Amino acid sequence: MEVAAAVAPAVRRSLWQRRAPRCAAGLQGSWPRAARRGTLGICSTPAGHGKAVVDRVIRVDHAGEYGANRIYAGQMAVLGRSSAGPVIQQMWNQEKDHLKKFNELMVAYRVRPTVLLPFWNVAGFVLGAGTALLGKKGAMACTVAVEESISDHYNSQIRTLMEEDPEKYKELLQIIKQFRDDEREHHDIGLEHGAEAAPAYSILKTAIQLGCKAAIFLSERI
Amino acid sequence: AVARCQLSPPWRALQASAVLRRVSDEQKKEPLASSSQQQFDSHPADHQPEQEPQGPRPSYTGQGGQESEDYESEEQLQHRILTAALEFVPEHGWTAEAIAEGAKTLGLSVAAAGMFHSDGSELILHFVSQCNTKLSELLEQEQKLVQLGEAEKKPTDQFLRDAVEARLRMLIPYIEKWPQALSILLLPHNIPSSLNLLTSMIDDIWHYAGDQSTDFNWYTRRAVLTGVYNTTELVMIQDSSPDFEDTWRFLENRVADAMNMGNTANQVQSTGEAVVQGLMGAAVTVSS
Repeated sequence: MEVAAAVAPAVRRSLWQRRAPRCAAGLQGSWPRAARRGTLGICSTPAGHGKAVVDRVIRVDHAGEYGANRIYAGQMAVLGRSSAGPVIQQMWNQEKDHLKKFNELMVAYRVRPTVLLPFWNVAGFVLGAGTALLGKKGAMACTVAVEESISDHYNSQIRTLMEEDPEKYKELLQIIKQFRDDEREHHDIGLEHGAEAAPAYSILKTAIQLGCKAAIFLSERI
Repeated sequence: AVARCQLSPPWRALQASAVLRRVSDEQKKEPLASSSQQQFDSHPADHQPEQEPQGPRPSYTGQGGQESEDYESEEQLQHRILTAALEFVPEHGWTAEAIAEGAKTLGLSVAAAGMFHSDGSELILHFVSQCNTKLSELLEQEQKLVQLGEAEKKPTDQFLRDAVEARLRMLIPYIEKWPQALSILLLPHNIPSSLNLLTSMIDDIWHYAGDQSTDFNWYTRRAVLTGVYNTTELVMIQDSSPDFEDTWRFLENRVADAMNMGNTANQVQSTGEAVVQGLMGAAVTVSS
């Protein structure tokens, strides 16, 4: 029995590995992945695995851009008529473009949006409006925190996709790199406009970034 | 039988291939090759005749391409057995007997039915998966015709009606035994698979209907269509009208309800927005 147990993992590995390339071609459409997992064993085809990776990437990025939109909307609701208005409006417009792009990608790749969208709708607006009530510097601090989280997140996505298959994900990589640069720019604008002088800057920044990490974790999965 | 059910998938695969080898050793090699002419075969394009390996087969960690072919055709063989078994479902139900009869028509021993669960789960899941694939192909073809300009684009409600009707019509040959299948699909160990098959079918239908929602509508639309499909399926099981006309009428009404739901939701939202604006206006007036 011990011999069998020792052989089993090796067997499993070699069987699934060898059949991986054929699986996608020969059995596409005959069993959905989950059904196969239950009855005929896990089949982690490159096609199946790649789809899961792209799914997550697009779902979480879409949720992120959607949230960022709502944050800027909240900030504009409070500070729209102040001196910071035009700056925030310009950053918001760029986020709108980002969201539009991810909407298109979502339809093209047939990715399901996260269930938590209504929640991010409200939470984003509340965060934006709440930090804006602390003043212009508070709003900028929020921007810095969020944009830093987002650009770190985009960077790790770029790393993941590059490790997977740079050729296959060329278009997606290009888009993410572009957006990462835009977010970096927003981060710098936030710093320029006095984010660090905001009340309780370091606590605010840490709390917001923790929230962003949680949001990213959940949106990837749910 | 209990020990068999507790085997983990790799071991079942090993046992399965052991059964196959014993079986093919007992009989001539012809019957396996002739199965490629089976009309029930669902994988004509990918089909390869079963290659009987020439040498001894000591381990699975060998590097030969024969292993992968042999392994691949084993799963294909399982699909072939299940497809052949469908012919016997009206008589035997979704059971191991039907699978055994299917195996017999492929020239295999009835022991091949031992590869599968004794409750017929795999047979039903295989059938559902096959139907979903057929539906996808049908919708894909329709979409091509529309793109080429050879057909009119249907309005959404008619598209949904036709898609659900086409899918449910595939149940007609097995409608007597379908209640049994439904109850088996609801068994706890089958729920992940059956739910997955159902959701991917509904997603397919909406995709070809042209759904491009990227917000919560994505979920509401699929939930509504799932409800329509399931209720219509239940009506169909009890329907005794000629060509199931009662079922299709029920379907038409449900789809109309679903469309109305969408319109009502929009109306509620507009009304809500108008009310809020009215209140804001009143507040401004009062405060000034």
